Amino acid sequence: MTREEYRQLKKQKERERRRKEREAWEAARGPLDVPFLLLAMLLLAIGLIMVLSASFPSAQTEKGDALYYFKRQVMFGAAGVVAMFWVSKINYHRFEGLAKLGIIGSMVLLILVVIPGPNKYGRLLALGENGAARWLGLPGTPFTFQPSELAKLGIIVYFAQSISRKREKMRTFKEGFLPHILILGAAVALTGMEPHLSGAILIFGIGAAMMVVGGIHWGWIAAGVAGVGAGGYLMLFTDLMQKIGYNAARIMVWKDPFGGDLDFQRRYAWQTMQSLITIGSGGLLGVGLGKSRQKFMFLPEEHNDCIFAVVFEELGLVGATLIMVLFALLIIRGFWLAIHARDRFGSLLIVGVTTQIALQTFLNIAVVTNLIPNTGISLPFFSYGGTALAIQLVEVGIVLSVSRQIPAPKAG
Amino acid sequence: MGRSEPQPRQGKKNPKKKPDMARRAKLVIQRRTLCLLLVFGVASFLALFAKAYDLTINQHAELQERASRQQTQSTTISASRGTIYDRNGVALAKSATADTVFLDPNVLQKRAEELDAARAKKLAEGLKEGESLPMTGQEYKDLIAERLSELLDLEPEEIYEKMEKTWSRYEVLKKRVDREIGDQVRAFLTDNPTGASIQGIHLASDAKRYYAYSSLASHVIGFLDGDNHGAYGLEALYEEELEGSTGLMVTAKDANGAELMFQYEQYYDAEDGNSLVTTIDINIQNYLERGLADMISKYGAKNGAAGVVMDPNSGAILAIASSPTYDVNYHHAIYDEQLQAQLAAVDEEYPPGPGESHSAEYWRKLEELQLRQWRNKAVNDTYEPGSTFKILTLSMALEEGTVNPNSTFDCSGSITVSTARIGCSRHGGHGHQILKEAVANSCNPAFINIGLGLGIDTFYDYVEAFGLMDKTGVDLQGDVGGIFAKQEDAITLDLACYAFGQNFNVTPLQLITAQAACINGGYLYTPYVVERELDGDGNVVRQHDATPVRQVISEETSATVREMLEYVVSDGTGRNGQVAGYRVGGKTGTADKSGTKDPETNPQGDVVVSFLCFAPADDPQVIMLLTLDTPSRDTGTYVSGGNMVAPTASSIMSDILPYLGISPQYTEEDAGAADATVPHVVGLTAAEAAERLASYGFTSYRTVGSGETVTDQTPLGGAIVPAAAEIILYMGEEKSTEPCVVPNVVGLSAAEANRALVNAGLIMRSTGAGGSEGIKAMSQSIPPDTQVSPGTVVTVQMGQTANHAD
Repeated sequence: MTREEYRQLKKQKERERRRKEREAWEAARGPLDVPFLLLAMLLLAIGLIMVLSASFPSAQTEKGDALYYFKRQVMFGAAGVVAMFWVSKINYHRFEGLAKLGIIGSMVLLILVVIPGPNKYGRLLALGENGAARWLGLPGTPFTFQPSELAKLGIIVYFAQSISRKREKMRTFKEGFLPHILILGAAVALTGMEPHLSGAILIFGIGAAMMVVGGIHWGWIAAGVAGVGAGGYLMLFTDLMQKIGYNAARIMVWKDPFGGDLDFQRRYAWQTMQSLITIGSGGLLGVGLGKSRQKFMFLPEEHNDCIFAVVFEELGLVGATLIMVLFALLIIRGFWLAIHARDRFGSLLIVGVTTQIALQTFLNIAVVTNLIPNTGISLPFFSYGGTALAIQLVEVGIVLSVSRQIPAPKAG
Repeated sequence: MGRSEPQPRQGKKNPKKKPDMARRAKLVIQRRTLCLLLVFGVASFLALFAKAYDLTINQHAELQERASRQQTQSTTISASRGTIYDRNGVALAKSATADTVFLDPNVLQKRAEELDAARAKKLAEGLKEGESLPMTGQEYKDLIAERLSELLDLEPEEIYEKMEKTWSRYEVLKKRVDREIGDQVRAFLTDNPTGASIQGIHLASDAKRYYAYSSLASHVIGFLDGDNHGAYGLEALYEEELEGSTGLMVTAKDANGAELMFQYEQYYDAEDGNSLVTTIDINIQNYLERGLADMISKYGAKNGAAGVVMDPNSGAILAIASSPTYDVNYHHAIYDEQLQAQLAAVDEEYPPGPGESHSAEYWRKLEELQLRQWRNKAVNDTYEPGSTFKILTLSMALEEGTVNPNSTFDCSGSITVSTARIGCSRHGGHGHQILKEAVANSCNPAFINIGLGLGIDTFYDYVEAFGLMDKTGVDLQGDVGGIFAKQEDAITLDLACYAFGQNFNVTPLQLITAQAACINGGYLYTPYVVERELDGDGNVVRQHDATPVRQVISEETSATVREMLEYVVSDGTGRNGQVAGYRVGGKTGTADKSGTKDPETNPQGDVVVSFLCFAPADDPQVIMLLTLDTPSRDTGTYVSGGNMVAPTASSIMSDILPYLGISPQYTEEDAGAADATVPHVVGLTAAEAAERLASYGFTSYRTVGSGETVTDQTPLGGAIVPAAAEIILYMGEEKSTEPCVVPNVVGLSAAEANRALVNAGLIMRSTGAGGSEGIKAMSQSIPPDTQVSPGTVVTVQMGQTANHAD
C-alpha cells in the first residue's frame, strides 16, 4: 500500500466515520413519535385537571390554599415536559455509557436508605412518612426524593444495555439469567426492606419484563409465572400469611371490603371502602367534573393513590373508561415503538419504560377498584407527586428519543 | 429466508453471522414485546373495565346509598307543635323549648385517656414549681357524673353505666329538661373545676309540652309519648294536625362532620302545627271537676265519677270530667289519693326484692292504676243509666202520642211484667198520678206501662234515632256505642226494664247527647270538643259544623218534656238540684248495677247515682249530666241521685249559669237570695246611705256608733252578697277586727241557718232548693269553727234528703 493509497484510505475512512456520525446525528434528529407524545401530553393534561379537582378540599383544609397541590404539580409537570423534550433530543446511545454508573449509584442510594441508625425512623439517613422510611433528603435543602424511583430508571437503563449486548447468551443461565436476577433481586430486596412493597413489585416487574423480552429461556419465564402464581395463591387464598405472623388485614379487606366491625373498618378498610364508595357512586356518567363529594375528607389519598376513584366518581364509567383507553393506547404505542426500535438497546429501553407505566397504571386502578389487595401505588401522570411526575416525563423523553431513530418505513 | 451455506471467514469476525444473530435476537424481542403489549395493553385493561363496570353499574345503587349516608347530615328543624286552647283562647297545652342532654361516651373516654396520659407524662418528667398534676380520667368522669346527677336528678350509677358504653357516640341522659336546667348544664360545661370545657356532653334543643292546668280537662287534652308524639286524648287524636311537619335540612358534610359551604343543600321548611280551639271552658271545667271531687269526698265512689257539661243547642262539650284523674304534666304518676294509697298498700304487701326499687306486683298495679286514671269514664265506659233515661221514654211516648200530660197512672209499689215482679223505688207505691207526677216521682210502674205502650219496634226505632246504638262520633278517644239486646231477640220484659233505664248500657256522653235532643227542640247533635283549627298564622283552617244530625222529636214534644222536667226539680225527686234565681229542669237516677248483688257481702248491690239537669228550663243553654259510680252506703245519706248528686249539680250550675251570662230571675219568694253588689256608702250620711243601699236592693242595715257620716262599712263596697244580707254601717266607730267563728248550720232550716250566721257576724248565701217544707241546709262552704273576718259570705247548700231511690 503506497503512502498515497494509505492517505487515500485514511481519508476515505475519515469520510466514512463522519458520514456515520452525521447519519447517527441525523437519525437522532428524526421525527418524534407524535402519537406517543400526544397521548402522554393528553394524559398529563387530564391528570393535572384531576389533581386540581381532587385536591382542592384537602388543599384548602390543610394548606389554606385550594390551589396549593395543583400549582406545585403544574410546576413539576412543566419542568418535566422541558426535561422530556431535552432528553428526547439526546441520542439514546449515550445512555449506554451511563448504565453502569446508574445502576451502581442506584444501589448505593438504596443501601443508604436502609442503613439503620439513630434518627426517629430508626435509620441513619432515610426520612419517612406513614411508618416507612423511603426518602432521602438533599442536605441543606427541603428537597427529598425516593431512591426507589431512581432505581427503576437505573434498572431500565442498565438492563437495556446489558441485555442488548448479551444477545444469544441471554438464553444461558450463567450469562443471561443469573447476573440480572442477582441485581434485580438485590434491588427488590433493598426496596422491600424500606419497606416499600409496591416499589419492590414495580422494580421486579420492570426487570422481569425486560429479561423476558431480552430472551431468557422460556423455562425461566414459566418458572417465574408459576412462582408468582403459587405465591399469590398462598398469600391470598390460604391462611399462610397469618401463620407466619403477617397482618392479613389487607387480604381480609380485599375479600370483604365492608366487613368487620367499625374499629376494623376504621383501621384497615377505610381507604378501600371509601374508594369503592367513591367509584360506585359515580355510576355510568358520574356526578360531574369537580363535583365529587367523596373528596371532602372521606377518601384518603384522594389526589395521590386514589385519584382515579375521583375520576370514576366525577366522570363515571364512561369518562374513566375513556381515560383507561388513552392509557392502553399509550402502552400499546409504547410497545409498538419497542418492536420497531432501531436496535435492541432502544427496544429494551422502551420496554422498560412502557412496562413501568403499564404496571403502575394497572396496579393503581386495580387497587382502587379492589381488584387486588391494597398496596400504595401511584397513577402515572395523575397522582400528585413532583419527582415521580418529572421522572415519568423524563422516561417519556427516553421513549421519544428512541422513536427518533426508528427507520422510516420503506415507501410502498 | 433460508440459511445460506457457511461462508469462509473474513478477518476476525464472520460478518454474515453478526446480522443473523442480531436479527434473531431482535425477532425474539419483537415477539415477546408483542406478548407484553397484549398482556399490558389489552388484557389488563379488560380486567379493569370488567371490575369497574361491576362497581359503577351493578353495585351503583348500593354504593351510592352508602355514599349519601356518610356524606349527608340531615338536621331536623322541629316544627312547633300547635297549642290547644279552651273556647276563650286560654292555652291548655303549649310547647316550649327544652333541652335534651346526651353523652358521647366515646369522646369522654378519649378525653379521660388523654388526661391519664398527660398525668403519666407529668409524673415521669417531674413537676415544676407551682404546677399541679392533672386530674385522672376517673376523677374527670366522677366530676361529670356527680354534677350531672345533681342537675338532672339522675342516679350517678345510671350515668356511669352509660359512660361505659365507650363505642357509642350518643347516649341520652335526660330528655327535655327545662331551659333553666339546660342552662345550668351549659354553664357547668364551660365553667368547671377542670379549667377547660367538658367534652363529651351535649345538649340538643327540643320541645317540651307544658300543661298549665295540671289535671283540669286531662282526659280531653291527653299527653305525649317520650318522642313528643301524641299518645292520648286530643294530642293523639289530632296528632297530625298539631304536629306540623318537621323541616329537614340535608347538608353535605365532609368526613369530619363539618358542613360543606356549598351546593349540596336541600331545605325542607318546617311547618308549624295547627292549633286547636276547643269547646272546653276551663272555668266550667274547673267548676265541674271541683263538684265531682266534692261529691266523691262526701259520698265516696268506688268506681269513680264522671260529668259532662254541654251546650244543648250545638253539642259543644263545655266541660267533661272523669274521676280518678291525673296530672297531664306527670301523667305516669298516680294522682288520685285513693289510688296512691292502693299502690302504697301493694308496696307494703310485696316488698321489693334485693336490688329492686319495687316488686313486680307493684309495677303491675301501677300499670293498672295508670290505665284507670287515664280512662275517660264519660266516653269510654258504658253503664246502666237508670231513671235519667226516663226522659227518653217520656219523649218517645209524648211524640208518639201514646201518652199525654193528662194520662194517669196508678202505682201500687210494684208491677208484674210477664212473670217477673218489678218493684218501684217507693215500696208503698205512688198511688194515682198524672204524667208529670209520675215523672217527678220517677215512678217505675208508670214508666213500664209507658214503655210497653210504645212496643218494642217503636222503642228501638227511637233508641236508634237518639243515637244510642251508635258511637256518638265525638272527637275524643275511645268513643263507644250502647249495648242493647238485638231487636229481634228483645222480649216484653226487656222493654219493661229498658223503659226505666235498666238492663242496657250506654255511655254518659251518649245519654246526655240524646237528652239534649229531648229538651232542645228535638235536635240530635254530634257532641264535639274541637271548635276550630287554626294554622300557624291564626287563620281558621277548619270550623266545626254544628248542624243537627236529625230531629228526633218535635219542638212541641220537647217543650212538654222541658216542662215536666222542670217540675221534677221544683217539686219532685230533683228538688236538691234547684238553683236560686234560675229555672232548672232535671231528672234523678239511681241505677242498679247488674251482677253486683251478693246476698252475703252486698245484699243491696252497687248502684250508679246520677243527675241530669239543664237551665234555663224554658230555653236551655246548658245541660249537665253527673254520675257517681258506687257511692258508699255508710255516709248516712240515703243512696240516691237526688240526695247525692243533685246538690252538687245545683252548686255547679249556680257557678256556671252566671258565668255564662245567664241572668237570674228571682221570684218574690227568693228575691232575698239574689245576689247584689254592695255600694260604697262611706262618707254619706245615714239617710243617704240607706237610700243608696235600697237602690242597690239592700233593705236591711244597721248602724253602729253615733257619728254623722258613715266611716266604714261591712261588707265593703263592691262585694257581692245576697240582697237579704244586713249591711253594717259604722258611724265613726272602729270596725271590730275580732274574727268571727263560723257556726255549724247543717241540718238547720234556711231561716235558722241565716239567723245563726248573722248572729255570728257573717252573711249567708243560700243555694239549692228553695221553699221551706223539709228543706234543710245540707252543707256549708266554710267548715264550722273556722275563724273568719266579719262579713264573710258563707254559702249554704239547701236541700232535702229523701229516703227512697229515684
